[in-house]
Amino acid sequence: MDSLTSITIDFERSHLVFPRIVGVVLFDLLVAILIRDRRRIAGAGTYWRDVMAEMDKVRFFGTLGLTLLYFSLMVPVGNIWPNTGRGFLFCSMPFVMAIGLLYMHERTVRKAVALAVVAVVGPVFVWWLFTYPFFLTLP
Amino acid sequence: MFELISPLFLSLVVGGTFIGIVFGAIPGMTATMAVAVCLPITYSLGLENGLALLLGLYVGGISGGLVPAILLGIPGTPSSITTTFDGFPLAQRGEGEKALRIGIVASFVGGLISLLVLWLFAPALADFAIKFSYVEKFLIILFALTVMAALSRDMLIGIFSGVLGIFIALIGTYDISDGGNGRYRLIPPGTEYWLDSGFSLLPVLIGLFGLAAILEQAERGVPKGHSKEDLKVGGKSTFSFSIFRGQTLNLIRSSGIGTFVGILPGVGGSAASILAYSNAKTFSKKPEAFGKGEPSGIIASESGNNGLTGGALVPLLSLGIPGDSTTALLIGAFTLQGIQVGPLFIGNNPDTWNAMIFAMLVANIAMLMMMYVAIRYFALVVTVPKHILFPVILMMCVIGAYTINYGIMFDVWTLLIFGIAGWVFVKLRLEVAPFIIGFILGPSAEVYFVKSLESFGTLGIFFTKSWIAMVLWVLIIGSVAGSVLLSRRQAARDRAAG
Repeated sequence: MDSLTSITIDFERSHLVFPRIVGVVLFDLLVAILIRDRRRIAGAGTYWRDVMAEMDKVRFFGTLGLTLLYFSLMVPVGNIWPNTGRGFLFCSMPFVMAIGLLYMHERTVRKAVALAVVAVVGPVFVWWLFTYPFFLTLP
Repeated sequence: MFELISPLFLSLVVGGTFIGIVFGAIPGMTATMAVAVCLPITYSLGLENGLALLLGLYVGGISGGLVPAILLGIPGTPSSITTTFDGFPLAQRGEGEKALRIGIVASFVGGLISLLVLWLFAPALADFAIKFSYVEKFLIILFALTVMAALSRDMLIGIFSGVLGIFIALIGTYDISDGGNGRYRLIPPGTEYWLDSGFSLLPVLIGLFGLAAILEQAERGVPKGHSKEDLKVGGKSTFSFSIFRGQTLNLIRSSGIGTFVGILPGVGGSAASILAYSNAKTFSKKPEAFGKGEPSGIIASESGNNGLTGGALVPLLSLGIPGDSTTALLIGAFTLQGIQVGPLFIGNNPDTWNAMIFAMLVANIAMLMMMYVAIRYFALVVTVPKHILFPVILMMCVIGAYTINYGIMFDVWTLLIFGIAGWVFVKLRLEVAPFIIGFILGPSAEVYFVKSLESFGTLGIFFTKSWIAMVLWVLIIGSVAGSVLLSRRQAARDRAAG
């Protein structure tokens, strides 16, 4: 019995022991789910079509697109003024404004002005807080 | 301990509780999100002050959910689902303020009872756990994962989600500081530079609980905010403590259920309040009144979900295993300050432990006072427009992810990756809580498993090491068998119901 359960671990390959076991368990579980839920999985096309049909595509993909743009621009803009956190500051203002406008239902000048104030004050306050009291450099 | 409790400490607890209530009161925002967004602020506060803020957010966030649950019939947080059953009918009868105050007092009692359990139970459990070797520690993690999976909506999916979390956590170097050999594994070619240390915990959490929640709201078109006219605070009948006459058993039982559910890893507040509510209904002399504005229902639900707060900290502070998603984030606060939570935490950091207990006590008292006195004003929080809140929260998520490792842009991309993953998880019906617990515990599970085998050279050691190991196996098998039995019974009931 002891010989069946005995294991010698080679230190040089010890980094692979646990990931392999976890990988095998994960694969087995996936197979079990695929077998059990085969009917539901076969109907997944309809499910995703329904998800897409009910989705507010402008707001959802708008959020993803703007977030992607925000993250992509932060470092290049920040590199213009290195180690000042202005990349974060100058990208966050239009980002907050754009997302706010995207999420606004009835767009009025009054609401837009309130949002613009938040879009300026919010990032400036956060930038100041992290740059001065916290001494953390933003992008 | 008292030198740690400064005016700043108290202000942070009270301020955190206030912000937490605001987050909890806005549908779509949760206590977890509040902690995720405010975590980077704890950087320069030090451990005790940082925890003061986060614990205030936690207590406030769980409590605030009752506001929209009662006034609008929409749970502010998942843990307030059952509060809507009786709270909203009361509000519709013009007794909103009374219902709110019943919920507030019940929340306070639930919070205090769970705090008492935390104070009494966590040090004892930690003292016991100190004796654990790597074998027992591995089995404890296995037990935590099976309990969590067993209590998932679907056990197979729950286990899969937990194991997926472990797998993702293993990406990166097998750390030399953990006794590893410093080699890479599971890293796609060309990504070694970014994934050298794998995905950082906090960007993953902020992505799953912050960005994913906002993506979900965006998908649904960011539902319009509510106007003051929608709020049925009412004033027809006034609150009186006599409502709690005859409710002592309900309060203690529901708080106890909430605390127990909190101790179980990865089980959220919604399970706590649902269990407490269904028990209160079962043992009630007038179960037919439940769902029609019965105060006992609100008492059970709110004392149950606030009972979670202390309970969820028990496994975190004694074993290093988070009890729910919010306490998983608290691990981040400890990590930021270079402190590891586990069996040695309370013994090695008695002042921090006492400060945490005190912070929880103050947070509960602050919650009671603020909400009881100013509930009409807190109710207005529901009307804050989401087009202002959500962009600011998104910005704070970015700050949180970026600053966690002192300025690594890859952490911001991690936030986006896991934000999208969190949205996809919901669509695929994967369970986020087991995933997170698996992700947090995966690296420790690996160290304990591999080191046990390196030391003893046999798999049999996991069964024969000690009586504790054997008891843990009984618990592991029992939790799986119990779950299978329950799901079969449920399936039979569903079939019978047609």
